[in-house]
Amino acid sequence: MKTSVEWLKEYSDIDVDIVQLADTLTMTGSKVETIEQMGNDIKNVVVGKILEIKAHPDANKLVVTKVDVGNEKLQIVTGAKNIKEGDIVPIAKNGAELPGGVKIKTNKFRGIDSFGMMCSIGELNLTLNDYPNQIEDGIMILDKNLEKQLGKDIVEVLELKEDIIDFEITSNRPDCLSIEGLGRETAVSLNKPFKNPRKDIDELKVQDKKEIEGLKVDITAPDLCYRYIARVVKNVKIGPSPKWMVRRLKACGVRAINNIVDITNYVMLEMGQPMHAFDINSIEGKHITVRRAKKGEKIVTLDEQERILHEDNLVIADDKKAVAIAGVMGGLNSEIEEGTKTVVFESAVFNGGSVRKTAKKVGLRTEASSRFEKGLSAENALRAVNRATQLVELLGAGEVVDGKIDVYPTKQKLNKIELDIEKINGLLGTKLSKQEMVEILKKLDIKVENDMVVSPYFRMDLELVADIAEEIGRFYGYDKLDSTLIKADTTLGLRTKEQDIKKKVAQILVNSGLSEIYTYGFVSEKDLEKSNIDNDIKKYAITLKNPLSDEYKLMRPSTIPSMLQTLAINANKKNQNVKLFDISRSYKNVDNAVESGEVPLQEEILTIGMYGDEIDFYVLKGIIENVLEAININYYDVEKENKNASYHPGRCANIKVGIDTIATLGEVHPEVLDNYMISKRAYLAEVNITKLVKYSKSNKKYVEVPKFPAVERDIAIIVDEQIEVGKIEKIIKKKAKKWLEDIQLFDIYKDKKIGENKKSVAYSLVFRDKSKTLSDEEVNQIMEEIIFKLEKDLKAELRK
Amino acid sequence: MKEQIANIKKNSIKEIENCIEEKQLNELRVKYLGKKGELTAVLRGLGNLTAEERPLIGSLVNEVRDELEELIMKKGREFKKQELKKKLENESIDVTEPSKKIKLGSVHPITQTINEVEEIFLGMGYQIADGPEVEKAIYNFDKLNTPPDHPARDLQDTFYVTEDLVLRSQTSPVQARVMENQKPPIKIICPGAVYRSDSIDATHSPVFHQVEGLVVDKNIAMTDLKGTLEMFAKKCLGEKTKIRFRPHHFPFTEPSAEVDVSCFVCDGKGCRVCKGEGWIELLGCGMVHPNVLSNCGIDPEVYSGFAFGFGVERIAMAKFGIEDMRLLFENDIRFLKQF
Repeated sequence: MKTSVEWLKEYSDIDVDIVQLADTLTMTGSKVETIEQMGNDIKNVVVGKILEIKAHPDANKLVVTKVDVGNEKLQIVTGAKNIKEGDIVPIAKNGAELPGGVKIKTNKFRGIDSFGMMCSIGELNLTLNDYPNQIEDGIMILDKNLEKQLGKDIVEVLELKEDIIDFEITSNRPDCLSIEGLGRETAVSLNKPFKNPRKDIDELKVQDKKEIEGLKVDITAPDLCYRYIARVVKNVKIGPSPKWMVRRLKACGVRAINNIVDITNYVMLEMGQPMHAFDINSIEGKHITVRRAKKGEKIVTLDEQERILHEDNLVIADDKKAVAIAGVMGGLNSEIEEGTKTVVFESAVFNGGSVRKTAKKVGLRTEASSRFEKGLSAENALRAVNRATQLVELLGAGEVVDGKIDVYPTKQKLNKIELDIEKINGLLGTKLSKQEMVEILKKLDIKVENDMVVSPYFRMDLELVADIAEEIGRFYGYDKLDSTLIKADTTLGLRTKEQDIKKKVAQILVNSGLSEIYTYGFVSEKDLEKSNIDNDIKKYAITLKNPLSDEYKLMRPSTIPSMLQTLAINANKKNQNVKLFDISRSYKNVDNAVESGEVPLQEEILTIGMYGDEIDFYVLKGIIENVLEAININYYDVEKENKNASYHPGRCANIKVGIDTIATLGEVHPEVLDNYMISKRAYLAEVNITKLVKYSKSNKKYVEVPKFPAVERDIAIIVDEQIEVGKIEKIIKKKAKKWLEDIQLFDIYKDKKIGENKKSVAYSLVFRDKSKTLSDEEVNQIMEEIIFKLEKDLKAELRK
Repeated sequence: MKEQIANIKKNSIKEIENCIEEKQLNELRVKYLGKKGELTAVLRGLGNLTAEERPLIGSLVNEVRDELEELIMKKGREFKKQELKKKLENESIDVTEPSKKIKLGSVHPITQTINEVEEIFLGMGYQIADGPEVEKAIYNFDKLNTPPDHPARDLQDTFYVTEDLVLRSQTSPVQARVMENQKPPIKIICPGAVYRSDSIDATHSPVFHQVEGLVVDKNIAMTDLKGTLEMFAKKCLGEKTKIRFRPHHFPFTEPSAEVDVSCFVCDGKGCRVCKGEGWIELLGCGMVHPNVLSNCGIDPEVYSGFAFGFGVERIAMAKFGIEDMRLLFENDIRFLKQF
């Protein structure tokens, strides 16, 4: 809310500078966004009178003038064409400053001294809007009357100084979307009395009438319109508003239009009540009905846009058509025009939620709607319309007709709240007396009657003791509150198991040289396609109703596209050796959760993405094995996966605990790499952290260090190339039973000498019995069984 | 004979002392002490002596023999030492050559900041809570005293999945869920991603991270909130940090406040980060609104509480001197490696 400090002074004495005022108000809750001090950038510019104009001896485009600036006469050289002797003009004297940091100094023009400069409106940062009679490319010619003020500062003479504060007003304080409300806050904050300049309005009694100048009003939607007041002005003289009003409007960011429209805006700024004025003759049947719009009803609003309405939207209508969207904007059909003779001033209060919805629906958020939607006081509506008619009289803009039409189906209730001293002190942590509390409330015009706080009409936000505590806290001073520590039972600081695991996993990965990334959960359909995400996963994607763009339309059912995108960005930047991980979520609409309004499945996924030298499938596999080991998942199977289209069909594996896949890893499918324009082999892994949590056993137990010696044996066999070493290991492990302590594959060898499509695989095995020394015979026996089984199941040949 | 022994002794000592390498020393050992050595020869010649002379000369020879053996051993040790010294010299390396190591990766600045915050609150006895990001509107808004058509729903443009499901615009729904499921005393913080439909620029992102805190117990007062946040600010941003409470409005707290901290870049003197004001707006907080407590099944007549929340990126950016928020989500490895 842009606020003129000059206007605020009508409500409170202000004896501090603008910065201090801004600070004080910020600390009581009216947060200052910006401070603007207009006119401060003009210095040493005064009123001068041109005494004579002579030709320049050496330049035919210049003239030499003599100017009276009160206490001295200056010689000034200028090239301006629009001046004549006797003109009153603004003179920037030697040492003057102009907007934009321009400095004026004594200068020589073709050998003739010039002791200053005559200013144009542009040089004073004024516009034709402010001074329509001036010209842009010439000197500003001032009013003849100013001859009496030669030498006076132009900033004072033209009243160019304007201090403006822009406040951030919170949604609970629509009363502060007005100078009056902010004036009250200012007075209390500065500990000054609140000067109520509208006392006359507060005490004014206006008679109720059923009909004025033939005008009648009905409300058919009392749930959406709490009060509608109309007053009429006859013999209207449309014209410009006086300077003081234009100035205040301008300071608050509102452009002057004509006296009637300006009055409605002025009252809105002053009292926070949006008003509407319209030509009585544009109301068919002179009958106003506040009703719900008809389905598909159309209205062209003042901004000349056609709006299509919905049955939930409230309109102000005559007998034939809608003339305004209630609380949002008036219709073009009832606009005030040059020839308007009789004007209706409307001051109404609508249901805030309804105005908010309507404004959103028709895509029109106005100064009026943004006030109405916060819920306005029906009592204030009457003050506003009376103030408007008072201004009509003050401006001589027309003849105010006696009486008002006041349809008021829902009286505003004033809240009564118990002044619970103990509760308030308990909430704030203070030890204030009742007297101190009542004092603060009194300053805010909040009455206390029999230990009950009565909220004034303009403070509809006060409903509970907590609200009263805030008012008392604000003006007792938040800065005066002590800093204490919670006096309560000790609690234990804890992470959940999942949080612990995530932390541990991240640590392992960082130690393995991976860098953590953060990605958005959004993807597009195209992203899912580029990554070859399976239809069975794609179908779980959750669609946003209002995405930022198509690129961010879906909540990802897989984290792969986000990682590939990141790899692509790095590849595109020619970054070498990129090893990344991301611990974030996938979002899946499993079991139609979304359709049934339930929270969809959101699993924590560790995603790894890598490319670069010395990175291959087995490096990735090693990293994942370390991750699993770190969180005590020791029993799992690695199985080849050749159907997952995001991965190379020959270089992809699932890691399973039982039948549950906890991770997938592999080389990225070359097609996918192509889609992302990554020219190197890249590797990906997805590890389901949510599942890891389930399988991670955290209770490690000490196992006795072996007392008896181990026996080592090597074995090398020749098998078909197709046979996975995992299968061989499984057989060895099964046959060696409890005696096998360690198994290490130390060689895989392929050669024609071994045979076409054959490979030799060599293991080193370590056997140990915990209770005794194993004899050679025992180990031989085991080895024979292993070899027999390998020969039988895999057609393996022992390599001699 | 004595003379002969004396000569052997004299010559041999001289030769041993002049000896320069181990091989030569071995030769000398053979020459004097070996089976065919000079001193051994003397011993062999003992048979020719009288019975009286024999023990005398014998012990003399043994004396010299001992002496020489001692000498040779000593010399031998010397050679070993020299040899080792030489070997070590040869093995000398350039310690300034590059190391061989597994290069460490890096933890993202957002995680680093969250971790730091978590540690501080864990130390104060807070539990760390989690919740869904695709969340029911009722938890994101209604339970938090923001019913449909409440103007505060306009404050933040929310992403909707359906009328009933949103991408959480704050981590507060986690608070509501915890209050529903846990009896006071409650002391939690909830860090996590939140979503608002802001276009991406240097200071905005549709996804960012928050940490919110909630304490509910008997007799919790605003002064406790102030004390807690002051302690947090000092631990997180430096012991010199001051905080400032300003009244504000949030639908889910009453009384509410915004908290500024003295600029931790310039110590409040005024700089680019704090735009010359000396203060940086850090967080919003307040006493949990009685409606929120009762919406979540906690009796506001018995319990009170405070809540606070702040953006992680903002702190991370100020702490690490990152001026463009987009860098945090672009994930250029050259950026990531710096942390």
